[in-house]
Amino acid sequence: AVYAPPAQPKLFLSSPFCDAALVKGSLKTLVALPKYIDVMEWVALNMFDFYNNVNTFYGAIAERCTSKNCPTMTAGDQLVYTWVDANHKHVKLPAATYIDFVFTWIQNLLEDQSIFPTKAGLPFPPGFPATCKHMYRQLLRVFAHIYQAHFEDMLNLRIEPHLNSLFAHYLSFGAEFDVLDKKELKGSPSSPTGIGYLYDKWKDMGRLD
Amino acid sequence: AQGEKQPDDYVYFNRSTADFSAEAVPKAKAAQLKLEHFYKLAVDAAVERNTRRVELERKLAADTTLSDERKQRQLQALGKKESTFLRLRRTKLGLDDFRTVKVIGKGAFGAVRLVQKLDTGKIYALKSLDKGEMLKRDQLAHVRAERDVLAESNSPWVVQLFYSFQDTSFLYLVMEFLPGGDLMTMLIKYDTFSEDVTRFYMAECVLAIEAVHKMGFIHRDIKPDNILIDKEGHIKLSDFGLSTGFHKQHDSAYYQRLLDSANGNQQTSAPSRNSVMVNPIHLTMTSKDQIATWKANRRKLAYSTVGTPDYIAPEIFLMQGYSNECDWWSLGAIMFECLVGYPPFCSENTHETYKKILDWQNHLMFPDDIHLSRDSEEMIRGLITGQNVRFTVDQIKNHSFFYGVEWDAIREIDAPFVPHLRSITDTSYFPTEDLENEPDQPTGGEGSGNKDLAFLGYTFKRFNIGDRAH
Ligand SMILES: Nc1ncnc2c1ncn2[C@@H]1O[C@H](COP(=O)(O)OP(=O)(O)OP(=O)(O)O)[C@@H](O)[C@H]1O
Repeated sequence: AVYAPPAQPKLFLSSPFCDAALVKGSLKTLVALPKYIDVMEWVALNMFDFYNNVNTFYGAIAERCTSKNCPTMTAGDQLVYTWVDANHKHVKLPAATYIDFVFTWIQNLLEDQSIFPTKAGLPFPPGFPATCKHMYRQLLRVFAHIYQAHFEDMLNLRIEPHLNSLFAHYLSFGAEFDVLDKKELKGSPSSPTGIGYLYDKWKDMGRLD
Repeated sequence: AQGEKQPDDYVYFNRSTADFSAEAVPKAKAAQLKLEHFYKLAVDAAVERNTRRVELERKLAADTTLSDERKQRQLQALGKKESTFLRLRRTKLGLDDFRTVKVIGKGAFGAVRLVQKLDTGKIYALKSLDKGEMLKRDQLAHVRAERDVLAESNSPWVVQLFYSFQDTSFLYLVMEFLPGGDLMTMLIKYDTFSEDVTRFYMAECVLAIEAVHKMGFIHRDIKPDNILIDKEGHIKLSDFGLSTGFHKQHDSAYYQRLLDSANGNQQTSAPSRNSVMVNPIHLTMTSKDQIATWKANRRKLAYSTVGTPDYIAPEIFLMQGYSNECDWWSLGAIMFECLVGYPPFCSENTHETYKKILDWQNHLMFPDDIHLSRDSEEMIRGLITGQNVRFTVDQIKNHSFFYGVEWDAIREIDAPFVPHLRSITDTSYFPTEDLENEPDQPTGGEGSGNKDLAFLGYTFKRFNIGDRAH
């Protein structure tokens, strides 16, 4: 039986699930730019890894993210993200479609030699930091939706310690390299994100250091 | 919970997978394992990177001859190398990154090709392994072992692995190309070696096996096919733990049956009190015919999935536990072959070979028509013998057979056969005419479907701190 009256804080904000973690210890050691290493290469590799890991996680619960369960890209009780289409119009999409768009877009960026060069000698473009910031924001939205709408699925599948560690790592990385936009993270006072509370909670616990 | 007070925000949640499809649970498990693997690697990589930096910093700090500017430049150079390595991690290597020059070898799970990496022009040997076949025959642990040995080793005695990658059907190992072929091909060509030549190869094998043991691995499948010859004529070991046909094909039940029949045989042939002891005469091929058949089939056997058991120590078949010593037995069998022309227990079929190995006391025979020195015979008998009395590495090295060998310098001396190579892609030391039907690209792999997880951790890229081939 679920002992959690609906009005209570979210499961992901409650013990013991909020504390569950795969990786213990200081995330900063994982996140910090290693000495003498090119910051672009470091950020590029991290974005690459985050994308692949989020993709794997979403894949595990994708069957629960149907247009019936998730007709919109929710990220808080009052917050729905919209996709900006080719005509600059904001459209509401089923979460699965939205996330599919995000993944496809990122996948294309990662495979584009002019943006994420892998061949020897090819440089990163001047707009690379801005592109990463943009990618970071969209992946953050995927996390936000997973926590908001699929945390119970994660619990049922027993992968919440893994998800938490991946997300904490993501947040810690974003803060370190200034790609994490606090406003984006928390939403607005009238329509806050669920993950905004999680961020505050983990920050207080020292989990992000 | 008694005694312990739960926090105020403590909630209970009953986990259940009732709402999920049958695929969801394994998928979630896969995600879990992948992430665990990811963090393990991330931590290892950070530690290694740190070690490299600290080592260089310490070395530079101790150096009073270099200017600060030069030191700074060396540190920047390290950073550059590390950065390139990070980039390599994002690079998805695939078959398209290589051009096949020629098929040069064949093994149980696929072919070995001479390839050129398109962007750098560098030459490598690319070994492909059929995932489906490997799963079917339960060879995963062994492939892991091979990858691990090759990946961890920086030993001059072990073939270097530069990259490994996979697609849905195959695993690929990109290794250094050893242009001199292998010892099997050489033995087929020369039949036998003189004692001096044998001493050279045996001494190098001793050091190579010792190096593998020091890394904490047991090879278990040392045979002439796995002893490769580099461009100077010195040897390197390859093919770790992929002992063909050794596991599933000949699983413990099979050995047990063999063993039972062997014991049974002994009972029926055990002399009753009144009988006269005679050597039974078997109406099978003469040993000369047997050897001829064996020779004719040698290469076929190397290509087959069954593999040749000729060099495997009896304790491995017996499943009673084995250790490093088993590799010394194999060396003994190879030494015998180098001097005599065929391995000690060769038979017209593998089943007979097993039986002879298990009953080696009655089957290790030195032919009359070939003269062996006393030292050689003693060495062979010290290796092909019971596990507990077999020579140790020190006994081997100090034995009079190896008198005069300079163990520390042997890789620097001239090898007895140095390959004559016309180019970096010369394959004249490989019997490639046997492999003409082998396609340029691996084909026919069945794919492993969602079993890909079994191959987690296979993708590898070597960090080359030195300026070795690459
Ligand atoms: N790095 C290499 N350079 C040159 N030739 C190689 C190299 N690796 C393998 N070969 C050639 O390919 C042949 C087969 O390779 P190998 O023994 O490694 O694979 P295998 O036969 O598939 O292994 P297994 O013993 O499991 O069947 C070798 O005997 C050798 O002739």
